[in-house]
Amino acid sequence: MREIMMFIVILLPVVTGIVIPFLPFKKRKHMEIFLESFVILNSLLVFWLLMNRPAEPFTLAKFTGDLTITFKLDGMGMVFSGLVSALWPLATLYAFEYMTKEEHEKIFFTFYTMTFGVTLGIALAGNMLTMYFFYELLTLVTVPLVMHTLTREAILASRKYLYYSLGGAAFAFIGLIFIVIYGNTTDFILGGVLNLDKIGGRTDVLLLIYVMAFMGFGVKAAICPFNSWLPDAGVAPTPVTALLHAVAVVKAGAFAILRLTYYSFGTEFLKGTWAQNVVMVIVMFTIVYGCSRAVKETHIKRRLAYSTISNLSYILFGAVIMTPLGMMGALTHMVFHAVMKICSFFCAGAIMHQTDKHYVHELDGLGYQMPGVFAIFTISAFGLMGVPGFAGFISKWNLAGAAVESGNPLAYAGIVCLLISALLTAIYMLTIVVRAFFPEKSFDNSKIKEYRDPNWKMMVPLSIFAILILIFGLYSGPIVDFLTDVANGLY
Amino acid sequence: MYLLFNLTENLPILFKVDAMSIIFAAVTIIIFLGSGIFSLEYMKHEQKKKRFYVFYLLAFLVLMGLCFAGNLITFYLFFEMLTLASTPLVLHSGSREANMAGLKYLFYSLCGAYMALFGLYFVSKYGNTLTFSEGGVINQELAAGHTGLLLVAAFVMILGFSVKAGMFPMHAWLSAAHPVAPAPASAVLSAVIVKAGVLGIIRVIYYIFGAAFLKGTWVQTAFMVLTLITIFMGSMLAYREPVLKKRLAYSTVSQVSYILFGLSAMDMNSVTGGVLHVIAHGFIKAALFLCAGAIIYMTGKTKVEELKGIGKEMPLLMWCYTIVSLGLIGIPPTGGFISKWYLAMGSLETGIPGFSWIGPVVLLVSALLTAGYLLPITIQGFFPGADYDYKALKKKEPSALMTVPVLILTVLTVFMGLFPGQLISWIQQAVTKLI
Repeated sequence: MREIMMFIVILLPVVTGIVIPFLPFKKRKHMEIFLESFVILNSLLVFWLLMNRPAEPFTLAKFTGDLTITFKLDGMGMVFSGLVSALWPLATLYAFEYMTKEEHEKIFFTFYTMTFGVTLGIALAGNMLTMYFFYELLTLVTVPLVMHTLTREAILASRKYLYYSLGGAAFAFIGLIFIVIYGNTTDFILGGVLNLDKIGGRTDVLLLIYVMAFMGFGVKAAICPFNSWLPDAGVAPTPVTALLHAVAVVKAGAFAILRLTYYSFGTEFLKGTWAQNVVMVIVMFTIVYGCSRAVKETHIKRRLAYSTISNLSYILFGAVIMTPLGMMGALTHMVFHAVMKICSFFCAGAIMHQTDKHYVHELDGLGYQMPGVFAIFTISAFGLMGVPGFAGFISKWNLAGAAVESGNPLAYAGIVCLLISALLTAIYMLTIVVRAFFPEKSFDNSKIKEYRDPNWKMMVPLSIFAILILIFGLYSGPIVDFLTDVANGLY
Repeated sequence: MYLLFNLTENLPILFKVDAMSIIFAAVTIIIFLGSGIFSLEYMKHEQKKKRFYVFYLLAFLVLMGLCFAGNLITFYLFFEMLTLASTPLVLHSGSREANMAGLKYLFYSLCGAYMALFGLYFVSKYGNTLTFSEGGVINQELAAGHTGLLLVAAFVMILGFSVKAGMFPMHAWLSAAHPVAPAPASAVLSAVIVKAGVLGIIRVIYYIFGAAFLKGTWVQTAFMVLTLITIFMGSMLAYREPVLKKRLAYSTVSQVSYILFGLSAMDMNSVTGGVLHVIAHGFIKAALFLCAGAIIYMTGKTKVEELKGIGKEMPLLMWCYTIVSLGLIGIPPTGGFISKWYLAMGSLETGIPGFSWIGPVVLLVSALLTAGYLLPITIQGFFPGADYDYKALKKKEPSALMTVPVLILTVLTVFMGLFPGQLISWIQQAVTKLI
């Protein structure tokens, strides 16, 4: 029963999404209620699953040999599925309000809800093939969302997104093949599945394959030089940018890399090799590169997108330290960054929704008109900067702690990158805050008089995220303990 | 020790009172009180008073937390909060210049904070605890073989905290940020908030790494060289600066590095001198900035050359100005003389080849420059020359709300110079445990 439930939570949102265009809703409100209740139901089912974890994997289909579509709920799957299930209902609520200004809502919600199921598919995948399958699917269901506005810009962006993602997946596929050949199994087992006897003298080849697969999955996690799709994809409606391009899709990339590193190749095989150094340098470069571009960018959403690029590489930095502590740091930042970034994106979306302003220099004095949104934005900014007492401090502490503990000189340099990035984060986030709350003396606020905070559908998710940032920052014990157990393979 | 709560398992937020806390807290309270009373009058000609007081009091609260922080993580927490709480004070006037200066202040300070955080990560691994302990917390067994790394960490931390203290090469924000704030805020920024960096360095050197660990290493030499450069450079820049508040800001750059020089020498007397200078410079610089503020408030004049005859217009205020100026130069009987005496004596006793006598020489040259940039205002103020139009002279003495705080700070400066015995022996008692 519990095993089948793993498949049901994947299927339910997909079906819900598909039926939406065919149901004759009399009012928009009915669709909202229908959709929200199913999303919440699905989230509750996922939480139920997390509480009553199925012991056995569930095999849906069997291809040749040991190539199967299998679902399994292990520690990492729990973290990722719990994360997306917690965020999805809130994001859906926010989307109802945001989409009032956009067209083709039904199509939008179809794909938006389907994505929920597909993301859960990645989280619950029990082996490399299943993950790969849902990984490709994720690209396909999210392309229509990027394309949504059907402007020339959006079509170009979605094309770019498609090519980048499929190209990345192709490289990841090479990794899959080599795991099939040189591994004992394709299942995810903490510590890796490679068979050293089969490898023999071909270590370097396998390391090269690891780097290729890393880059392949890294496309979704927007590592440099494969990051340019992410800021472009910001043309999508904000609920998409916030949830998919700050959490679900991009973190699926980071998730896949964690699976690849810790569960397929295994850290024992990779640690201390040139492959580790190569990926670490790429990740460190991306951390600083993303931030510097964010400072330069004046479009709010694009700025946040570059910030995401940098922060995703924080997660990957934890991943490539290749110690349990590193993985713990990566998972902490995966969860905390999700909350912080979705919060700041939703603030940006609220600003755009209420005022139609898209650029940083247009925000002068708005802090007094929309105090709620900008206060929450400030909290998310402090979180991203890593001010103690906010979530970002804890995750950075864990990441840097892992780097110090590893004793790897390159990881020490990584700490420097983290801190440079923290400073740049302060620059690109706080300039917005200062503009909003401290306009120049000559500023005339009669033009912005009519702008107000948005209604409860936007403010409730925003407030919840802001409170979560503070809770994670001040009382992170239980969640960090849980993530430590996950990283040590207790689940 | 009072444990507030645990941020994570091994990151407790806790508070502790020791000699350093008491000294820094006392200076903070006196100056915040004085500037606060002064601001009641001064803020009449500024806008958004409520916002100003929110952040003024917030900065006060955070500074108290900083003084009583019992471990490094608590200290770091309040250090970062201090930056965030004090930036609005710089931004207050809303002019373009103020906005630029505010952002500059913010980002320089955060940069410093992150450098400190870098060291903090390593201390948390190689230290027994993060709690401030006399003589340091570094675990000798763990640190064996990693001395080089730890020295780098210590240096980066010192450099990080020194950003707040305006030490070369990270001093550029100070002369931009302090003058644009309203005068009461400039006074606390320059007299107290820069001292947060000093306290940070005291904690890092004497309570985390331990003087024994750092003495005689390249870290000490490099730190010393930087402080001496700053002392000289700050005085030179102040000497050339025509705007009074900016001149005072540059003077802060120079004077705070006196304190840092005392700390870097790691000698009993030099550290005592440094701590004494924290007190003396706090009172003096607050009084000077309040004087400058009163001049702006009453006459609107900001440049030194416009201040001819100012002593005739506001004699009481300018007398106070003159007395505290003498204190900053280091002329007895003022607090500044005592602190500089100990600084120079400590420097001579270190026996570090070269530095033991270069230090006092730089201190003396800088004292000369201090006289050069502070006293002309007195001289022109009281002796405006024959072509001064005495008929147009009007008394412009500010109200008691402004003069009394300045007067009290002046009296404290002189009092400290006349009866320093108790204070010195108490500080020496505390410092003995550190060396």
